[in-house]
Amino acid sequence: MSSTPQSDDRRSRASSRADALPLSTPPLPVSTGPAVVFDSSDFVRRKSLRTQAPVDIRLLEYVPKCDSNLVCLICQCPFDIPTMLACDHVFCRECLDHAFRAQDHRSKRCPTCRTHVDPKKEPIPVPRILLSMLEDLMVKCPNTKAGCTWLNKRDGVQNHVDLYCGFSTVECPAGDCRFSVLQKDFHKGCLHYTVSCELCYTSIMKKDLEEHQRTVCAQRMIKCPHCEVEMLRLDLKVHIKDVCQFAPTACPGAIVGCGHTCDRRFVPAHAKTCSMATMAPFFQAQKTRLDDQEAAQKLLQRKVDILEGGFTNISNIVYPTNSSDDSSFPVTNPLDPNAAEPLPETPDFRLPPASFPPPAASTNNPPPPPFDISTHHLLSLHESLREEVGRIANDLASLEGRTHLLILNENQRAKEEMLHTSAAINSLRTQVHWLLSARLQQGRASASGGASASAGGSGSASVPAGSSLGSASLGPLRRLSDSTRQDTKL
Amino acid sequence: MAAARKRILKEYTECSNDTPPGMKINFDEQNMTEWEILMDGPEQSVYSGGHFKLRLTFPNEYPFKPPVVSFKTKIYHPNVSNDDKGSMCLGMLRPDAWKPPNKVISVLHLVRTLLIEPNVDDAIEASIASEFKDNKKGFEKTAKEWVKQYAK
Repeated sequence: MSSTPQSDDRRSRASSRADALPLSTPPLPVSTGPAVVFDSSDFVRRKSLRTQAPVDIRLLEYVPKCDSNLVCLICQCPFDIPTMLACDHVFCRECLDHAFRAQDHRSKRCPTCRTHVDPKKEPIPVPRILLSMLEDLMVKCPNTKAGCTWLNKRDGVQNHVDLYCGFSTVECPAGDCRFSVLQKDFHKGCLHYTVSCELCYTSIMKKDLEEHQRTVCAQRMIKCPHCEVEMLRLDLKVHIKDVCQFAPTACPGAIVGCGHTCDRRFVPAHAKTCSMATMAPFFQAQKTRLDDQEAAQKLLQRKVDILEGGFTNISNIVYPTNSSDDSSFPVTNPLDPNAAEPLPETPDFRLPPASFPPPAASTNNPPPPPFDISTHHLLSLHESLREEVGRIANDLASLEGRTHLLILNENQRAKEEMLHTSAAINSLRTQVHWLLSARLQQGRASASGGASASAGGSGSASVPAGSSLGSASLGPLRRLSDSTRQDTKL
Repeated sequence: MAAARKRILKEYTECSNDTPPGMKINFDEQNMTEWEILMDGPEQSVYSGGHFKLRLTFPNEYPFKPPVVSFKTKIYHPNVSNDDKGSMCLGMLRPDAWKPPNKVISVLHLVRTLLIEPNVDDAIEASIASEFKDNKKGFEKTAKEWVKQYAK
């Protein structure tokens, strides 16, 4: 839409403003006078083709900062095409459209006060004073970053960008080139071909070559801004930082607060008189030491945390009821001043760990408990617990040994006794055997003797004969010694 | 969209110039529709001593839709949902009550005020709200325990 840009653009913008306020708004000065267009005669007017989108004046940088009363409450930017509702609230037209789109279709309400909006009567005309105040706002050119220094009233910004700003991008004059160039380079023709820098051999586009040589190329000779010595750009940074005698350098005492800055050649003279420079190495050493200490302390703290965690676990295992039993023990930290009712710390020797605060809570309280003491306490308690467990283990071992021995002894005795008994039983059995066999033999012998006696016919003589017979029959069975013993007894 | 981004940027500048006490905003230029806010529990509340992490998300329709506030740190509070979202949705943060002219700074102030004085009549967690009304001691105890457990 930009073949004859200047008048077309202005007309379309003006007509869009007219659309914005369909009611009897007085014709805006911005859209009327052609004088606005031509007053910046120090710029060359463009004959090229614009490629940029229209300027969004809400995104411009305002100088000085815009009065907060001229700011749309929705986009927080100075009004663009201010639009007023019957409730006297003013918004940008676009913001209000957005807000209405987000609302229910039939009933539109003011985004600020929710008053019902009558689409037939609203928006109402904006006071002229507001429009002129907005016109007077000063803005920077949107191409400021590219190098444009334009600063003027904001309703001229579109014209400036469209027609005069050398830093607007336009289509390349070569018809078949797809790239765009800055307006100020338009007359140079198409610059979109690759060249290589004759110093550093980087290949770049022709249009960027100048910029490259001026500010980037490291192989280019430049002068030090302080001492006028020529050198490669490559070395300039190091030169200024460490070598250049004319570069402003801070006093070595800067780390402890000396604000003095002078040329490098005067620094030694200053350092002699500056007490802070004298102290600086000492402070530096202190600082490194402090850092080391802090690191070490952090490590220790972590160790203590781990130990404390382990200890809590142990005490939870050993005294599992403590943590849940809050009727007899204070669950809240007794050292915590914020606790609802600070319970008196009653010493309770039944369950020692409960009389300690839970270790996790003890670090962050305003009056921190003596850290060393509590840790020490915890550690000693841990140690004593461990000792006790060791002692009990030893006792158990010795008890087991003794019991084992006792059982072994008892067993031995019982075994021996059993052997004795079985031997006795054996001997008894042999005796019974002997007796039984003897009785059997005697029975047989008496039966045969009776038969012979009755055959002999003398009853009286049969008794001694019988007894002698009996003794004779016993004789070979009974041992000789027995009979002699009986004799001696008699 | 560009205007919305500019507004968010402006609001961030405003918030960082006048941050409510105990708050810190982590702002990422690459993703400016998500703010991470680190907040210390207000001194005069039961949450004092706690450090809470919040996320403030701006919807695409911002400022025509309200920003979404969610607690990333668990908190025992009648106006904060007790789930993994931790969302806070009341007062000006409700979609029907939100107005485009409202600002983030007032949202931050609202959050802080609610930690000091929960709004029981507009609670999202009814059980916590009734405990707050009937058994304030118990509520304070649980809230403090949660602070110790989650917000250290």
